[in-house]
Amino acid sequence: MSSFAKHVVRGGASGSLPLVDRFLYEVSRYSSTLLLLMVFSVETGVVIFVIRDMRAADNEVQRMYVGSVLGLRSIGGLQYDAQETRRSTLYALTTNDSNLQVEYADQSRAADRRVTDGISDYLAHARAPREIDLGRRLQDDWHAYLKVRDEVLASILEGSNKEAVDYDLTGGVPSFDRVRQDLEEIKRLYDEQASQRLAIVDASSRRSTGRLVGVLCFTLLFASVSIWVIQRSKMLSALKLAKLQMDFVASVSHELRTPLAVISASAQNIADGVVEEKEQLAKYGAVIRNHTRQLTELVNQILLFASTREGRIHYILRPLKVEQIFESVLRNTREVVQEAGFTVESSIEAGLPGIVGDASALSQCLQNLLGNAVKYGGSHRRIHLRAFLYKSDDPRAEEIRISVEDRGIGIDSSDLPHIFEPFYRSPAVAAAQIHGTGLGLPLAKSIAQAMGGRITVVSKIGVGSVFILHLPVLKKGSWQTEALGPDLLTRQ
Amino acid sequence: MRRRLGVPITAALAVLLLDVCPHTAVHAAGDPQGAVQPDQTLAIVVNQSNPVANLTLQELRTVFLGERSHWPNGRRITLVMLEPGQPERKAILREIYRMNENDFSRHFLQGLFTGEVFVSPKTLATPVGVRKFVFNVPGAIGYVRASDVDESVKVIRVDGHLPEDKDYGLRLQPHAVK
Repeated sequence: MSSFAKHVVRGGASGSLPLVDRFLYEVSRYSSTLLLLMVFSVETGVVIFVIRDMRAADNEVQRMYVGSVLGLRSIGGLQYDAQETRRSTLYALTTNDSNLQVEYADQSRAADRRVTDGISDYLAHARAPREIDLGRRLQDDWHAYLKVRDEVLASILEGSNKEAVDYDLTGGVPSFDRVRQDLEEIKRLYDEQASQRLAIVDASSRRSTGRLVGVLCFTLLFASVSIWVIQRSKMLSALKLAKLQMDFVASVSHELRTPLAVISASAQNIADGVVEEKEQLAKYGAVIRNHTRQLTELVNQILLFASTREGRIHYILRPLKVEQIFESVLRNTREVVQEAGFTVESSIEAGLPGIVGDASALSQCLQNLLGNAVKYGGSHRRIHLRAFLYKSDDPRAEEIRISVEDRGIGIDSSDLPHIFEPFYRSPAVAAAQIHGTGLGLPLAKSIAQAMGGRITVVSKIGVGSVFILHLPVLKKGSWQTEALGPDLLTRQ
Repeated sequence: MRRRLGVPITAALAVLLLDVCPHTAVHAAGDPQGAVQPDQTLAIVVNQSNPVANLTLQELRTVFLGERSHWPNGRRITLVMLEPGQPERKAILREIYRMNENDFSRHFLQGLFTGEVFVSPKTLATPVGVRKFVFNVPGAIGYVRASDVDESVKVIRVDGHLPEDKDYGLRLQPHAVK
């Protein structure tokens, strides 16, 4: 990863910070759609939050404003009812009919009850000290007026109109005037509050607009950055792929040219009669055969990888014994192992359960791992191939593990995350002139996954590597071979 | 069948009796032991602020005749009467004034002219009006049936008796009850 990242930064993003490109490289591993979805989700979340915030603030302000308007309306009602109280009282003066006078008295008392209730309501809702003081003053003044009103009414009903007028002029008029002033003052207070709340509404509206503009700007900025990130990550992906493909082409060309040159030279020597002796001819023949096999293997790997990528491979799954696979692997790799001077020590745990898989594919998978162990096995020249049952308290976690262990050059920790990527070759390996296509491990991984398993690796530079193939255990009764026949399932 | 016919006939007779003499009929049917019915007695009502709680029949007569001008608390007395022709007014004229309508009118015209009477009665059309008048005027005194009384006015005792008492004297039909 690190060497690649450095390379990419040098080759494709001059002037950018390596950290940014490293981040973008990580981003490029995910699809643009996912990234866009994430961006959209974040944006939507932010917008929803802002809209909710704005609406809550606006509702609060509207509620406050409506409170002021209703307060003003109720004060208007109080003013009217107070006037009605006085008006009805004085109407009683206009008649000598006691029945009518009682009716006017009734009207006056009904109006005064409404005023008294209204004042109590105002006091119940008053919060500010000024409101409370004003409400109490109004209540006192209203009660004072009502006392005078009662006397006026009594005098009118008694028939003492002059007395009633005297009472009203001396007590009623001034006390009612105080009530009127109190109501006016409350109205002014409501007016002031309404004005203040209007100002708050205005400020809130402006704040909301500002927030909205802010969110839009943020959205625009975020969207621009997102597009840039997506474009750049795509570009980096393309660069990486191009680089890998170029490396692959160079590597394959080299891998093809070398055996072809050897085959060609050997054939030329034989054709020219340079080689005449039987032993030499046999030696040349062996050289041609080995290099032909190497070429065939290379072409097969490439074709197999292409088939895997295109999804054209169909695996035939059947119950297998590990011994069968080991036998096939050791047979197919014997020549390569021996030529390289390696020894393979294989061991299978006694009573190992069977597995389900494609025998040919699993053999290919292990051959790739074994081939790598030979290629990178260093001077120790000893490879361990083991199969054992991994037991666990949880029966579902039980699995069969097949390990390929070498004491070779090992893998750098920075290379480990990438060794299963197609065409990837460690710079250190390339520098050491160790030939390869970068397809062996991706193929092995692909096969393992198709068999319901996986491959893990533990490695240390200079110590060696252990590749472990994890495969599910064949459970008793889960695979009815006799009933279904040998070819049981195909899996792409 | 005979039993079925008996019920409507009894009901019809009861309705007829009620129509002819409603108060007597109700009293006779509902109160065989002679207990007082609220709609058969007159309550003398004053304003709740009036400190007077008891008057003798003679004092009551003095007040209703307009020969007394003020209450002990200094409030001017205002008499409230129902319009002529109403049973409550008839009962008051009979029990307190012991006059007929003509004598009543003459008494007040003459008394106001000579200055012997200080109070001119106010006339209201309904018991509710009387009650409301008394409620509004601290010195008012009036009368309504005991069943028309509510908490807006105060009922005073007459000779120490309230309308619900057996020995209470102001009744709409005193002879029928006895």
